[in-house]
Amino acid sequence: MSTMSQSNGGGSRDGGSRDGGRRSKFGRFGARRREVLPEEPLDYKNVAYLAKFVSANGRIQSRKRTGFSGQNQRLLAAAIKRARLCALMPFVGRM
Amino acid sequence: MKLQRTRTYECMCLLDNREVRKGWQPLKDAMLAMFTKHGAKILSGKRWDERRLAYPIKGQHRGTYLLVYFGADTQALAGIRRDLQFSESLLRFLLVECAEVPQSAYEPEGDFDVNNIPADDAPALPPPVEEPPVEVSSTIETGQSTEA
Repeated sequence: MSTMSQSNGGGSRDGGSRDGGRRSKFGRFGARRREVLPEEPLDYKNVAYLAKFVSANGRIQSRKRTGFSGQNQRLLAAAIKRARLCALMPFVGRM
Repeated sequence: MKLQRTRTYECMCLLDNREVRKGWQPLKDAMLAMFTKHGAKILSGKRWDERRLAYPIKGQHRGTYLLVYFGADTQALAGIRRDLQFSESLLRFLLVECAEVPQSAYEPEGDFDVNNIPADDAPALPPPVEEPPVEVSSTIETGQSTEA
């Protein structure tokens, strides 16, 4: 077996002695973020909604900022790139 | 032996407004003929919008979008792409596969007067000005004093 499953990692996850017996709200890799679902379909024709996820320079925001799952973030990036090709959104700069 | 599969595709065509001003219906028919020529079945073809482009293409700052849904064999797609690339009326096109045709695609196309297309160098519409909310004092309307 791997060493990760055998180690106790300091005891904070299992209610160890360091936090006084309380279960920590943080996992091993930090606090779990709440997944954000898209409010509207991630379609390249839905330009007004896609523009919310583009920075002032025209760059696609990261998952850290959008809060989307990996699947939805890929759909978002593909939709923005398609909208750029159709000249619905700029490659660089604000609309 | 070639494997033939019919799939549904969506094509967004960006048309040159100089060609659109000559007549919308003949141009639309000519565009749809490019699909049917290769055996595609047109499910829906209507004008999507006429708007200012995010960046100029071939010196044009405005364009008309034609959205076409069609079913075609996978083998016929290369020929359709080739014809679209050779078309001089097209500024740009995007051809993607779609799972299903949205219901809005079957709605009738609205009236489109090519004479009302703005000039290519027309400035973009200014952003809407948000008016500050009018503060209405509750003491004036109701006549009640807030002080006890």
